[in-house]
Amino acid sequence: MELLPLLTVLLLAHAVVYLAWQAVSRRRRACCYLLDYACHKPSDDRKVTTEMAGDVIERNKRLGLSEYRFLLKVIVNSGIGEHTYCPRNVLQGREESPTHDDALEEMDNFFADAVAGVLAKTGVRARDVDLVVLNVGSFSPAPSLVSRLVHRFGMREDVMAYNLSGMGCSAGLIAVDLARNVMLTRPRTTMALVVTSESCAPNWYVGTDKSMMLGNCLFRCGGAAALLTNDPAFRGRAKMELRCLVRANIGAHDDAHAAAVHREDADGRLGVSLSKALPKAAVRAFTENLQRLAPRILPARELARFASRLLLRKLLLAPRKHTAAGNKAEGPASSPKIDFKTGVDHFCLHPGGTAVIEAVRKSLGLTAHDVEPARMTLHRWGNTSASSLWYVLSYMEAKRRLKRGDRVLMATFGSGFKCNSCYWEVTRDLADAGAWEDCIDKYPPETLVNPYMDKFGWVNDVQGQGSGFLF
Amino acid sequence: MPTGGVFSGSVNLKYVKLGYQYLVNHFLTLLLVPVMAATALELARLGPGELLSLWRSLELDLVHILCSAFLVVFVGTVYVMSRPRPVYLVDYACYKPPASCRVPFATFMEHTRLISDDDKRVRFQTRILERSGLGEDTCLPPANHYIPPNPSMEASRAEAQVVIFSAIDDLVRRTGLKPKDIDILVVNCSLFSPTPSLSAMIINKYKLRSNIRSFNLSGMGCSAGLISIDLARDMLQVHPNSNALVVSTEIITPNFYQGSRRDMLLPNCLFRMGAAAILLSNRRREARRAKYRLVHVVRTHKGADDRAYRCVYQEEDDQGFSGISLSKELMAIAGDALKSNITTIGPLVLPMSEQLLFFFRLVGRKLINKTWKPYIPDFKLAFEHFCIHAGGRAVIDELQKNLQLSPRHVEASRMTLHRFGNTSSSSLWYELAYIEAKGRMRRGDRVWQIGFGSGFKCNSAVWKCLRSIKTPTNGPWDDCIHRYPVDVPEVVKL
Repeated sequence: MELLPLLTVLLLAHAVVYLAWQAVSRRRRACCYLLDYACHKPSDDRKVTTEMAGDVIERNKRLGLSEYRFLLKVIVNSGIGEHTYCPRNVLQGREESPTHDDALEEMDNFFADAVAGVLAKTGVRARDVDLVVLNVGSFSPAPSLVSRLVHRFGMREDVMAYNLSGMGCSAGLIAVDLARNVMLTRPRTTMALVVTSESCAPNWYVGTDKSMMLGNCLFRCGGAAALLTNDPAFRGRAKMELRCLVRANIGAHDDAHAAAVHREDADGRLGVSLSKALPKAAVRAFTENLQRLAPRILPARELARFASRLLLRKLLLAPRKHTAAGNKAEGPASSPKIDFKTGVDHFCLHPGGTAVIEAVRKSLGLTAHDVEPARMTLHRWGNTSASSLWYVLSYMEAKRRLKRGDRVLMATFGSGFKCNSCYWEVTRDLADAGAWEDCIDKYPPETLVNPYMDKFGWVNDVQGQGSGFLF
Repeated sequence: MPTGGVFSGSVNLKYVKLGYQYLVNHFLTLLLVPVMAATALELARLGPGELLSLWRSLELDLVHILCSAFLVVFVGTVYVMSRPRPVYLVDYACYKPPASCRVPFATFMEHTRLISDDDKRVRFQTRILERSGLGEDTCLPPANHYIPPNPSMEASRAEAQVVIFSAIDDLVRRTGLKPKDIDILVVNCSLFSPTPSLSAMIINKYKLRSNIRSFNLSGMGCSAGLISIDLARDMLQVHPNSNALVVSTEIITPNFYQGSRRDMLLPNCLFRMGAAAILLSNRRREARRAKYRLVHVVRTHKGADDRAYRCVYQEEDDQGFSGISLSKELMAIAGDALKSNITTIGPLVLPMSEQLLFFFRLVGRKLINKTWKPYIPDFKLAFEHFCIHAGGRAVIDELQKNLQLSPRHVEASRMTLHRFGNTSSSSLWYELAYIEAKGRMRRGDRVWQIGFGSGFKCNSAVWKCLRSIKTPTNGPWDDCIHRYPVDVPEVVKL
């Protein structure tokens, strides 16, 4: 063959091969597998029983009858059971004066259990971890907790470490988002460790502001560590594959931004104030998120059906506006609802509280079976903030609900106000009970009612404004 | 004479070294010149007639030419599109505290005497201040001026709002940035992370979009500014046509140490208020007005080592006051962390001449003679400007010695420490502003930013200047740059 055509063909072949190789390697890096995860199970002596809760409330001499009644109402309706965990300093009666070491001890317990657990389960060594993202909402010491993790497990010098803080209950998915984005830019495959928890020890509220006492009733100790990787070699062992992640932040609206604020109360005591506008902000953020999520995860048929119904309603409703005393039955009941169950098999909802779960259930049109994992997590573990959705996922796994090919939607809400959601596809049948192992057979229980009404219901019957009761 | 001989010997050595550097760094050019000359001579010898017949003999027809042209264009496009997206620093703004927040030495000492009866504590802090390298214009937030200081969450939020919003407003003025155009937001503040986060606070104030990708890094120390830049860069690689706003600050209000432990009193004396807002972009049209392009970011984490991990450590003293203790081994650990960082960044930025020297010396040490000292590469060949974190006078001295820098190279760091104090993660940006305000930044100059922080981390960023920066720059140095550089004495007698 002549020289010039030969050269041309060789160069062309090289360019095609190079382009193909680039495309393939970009595709490989773009996948994100959940290798495994572990949820933190604190030691049993830290369980919050009804007696213990009574002791804690009684210790706070500032509380009066109206506060007791309020607390009772909240706890009875909270959906929280007798097996949630509190930090050790509250157990030892030191909730008014937590020390720096108390907070660090809580974190160390969590690292020793969950992080060591997930590394042991998968056989990944700490030195193989390339990227660590840690999120703990309201505690950020110096050196950062992620540095503490790097130190404790002896990770490499070139490990990429990120420490997120202050981002609320939905920060678990922000950490996953960060890990996924960094993984996409690295030339080699990356093993990422995503660690999420919340610090309860320094954040027990000891004042009398009702909006801040809610936190004491709902937030409990917990945490989770997950290993993510984009190495195709792990595909066989991975549990789930990440398909898409959508973040919505409606902080631009002032009332949404002020829905959950860590601030001082009138007496100068620190606490997280949950405003009455929180449910509305949650719904707004959720809608914003779902609007962007739906086109990416639902089948085209469902989207077409919804669009056509919406259009039909618009066309039909326009002339009816002019008729007198418009047909009341054609109100909200007929507004078309998009059916997420066409694209999602399991719903992993943030167990923020019974009200939140119920609101989400109504808006998505889910059944009691769909929200059972979230309700049971709230009962067993309380609201463990950003890590709670890993407990919900673990419940589904323990109940053998997750089969290969199933699609899971995780949705969380948090201060900001944010709503983040994440869509996974299960890659193999899952059966690991994890932190639920010792109690999964008892769930769902006969009744979710906790014994607080039985023990402390007499508070509602007491007359007068007395305070300082002996329990 | 022996000295003359030695002197002439060292001069000769200098020229030998220069010659060697020129030879190695321009090797390809030097090789190409004789080849081009030979080809040109050959062509000239052939003459135009012979050239034409040579061309015809190749039997090129239209198809061949078109294919070749297509191929060249195709390969060129493939190459251009597969390069990583360049990350441009469009502009940045540093917060300039008002004069009402000034803390001259006299104010600081009087304040210390009024809030504490402990004489030893007052004397110790005086000694630190005398040797700190700080000047009389550094600023503390209003809450720290109270007697005693008022470190409430409300005051901390107020400080955060003032410093961050001022910096962002300044950046918006300089760049014409519209809040709706911000796609990525990264905020780092080490010792204050409220709920909702500082990033949520910015989203609320400037009404940013709801699909913004925001991250709030916390607890990551004085080197967190470069970690934020690294994160923004990764986000910009994944998302095309985007703007990223990076905000680096340290909120001083909640971190006032009220006890008397000496190793914890140092931060009170050195840390001052400051903030920087930086606009990064990967949009092609920003390349025209961008100031810098990000070339490398290298991160080193020494946390696995016990001594390094405990070197900057927050804890409670015996009386229950929380503070950050700085260990005596800080300098040694910083030097160690820097060496690790250099071994990674060296091959990326050093010219071939230095790398060869380092390599040969390393081979020599291993094979020939173990007593040879390791070769310290000359980083002045790789960079025109150095921004070393103004952590304290000792840190700057240590780095100047380790990297063999001249006083002019560390001038930006020393003067920033003098004028603004240790503003933690934003200090690198005040130093860069100093270099620009002095009119020294020319197109093509390379800048090396080095940050150290708790963990122990050492992070580096390399920037390349895209256009010469003219003075005045409307930055934080504008009203005082004419007074600088000042001579900062070893000890200022108070």
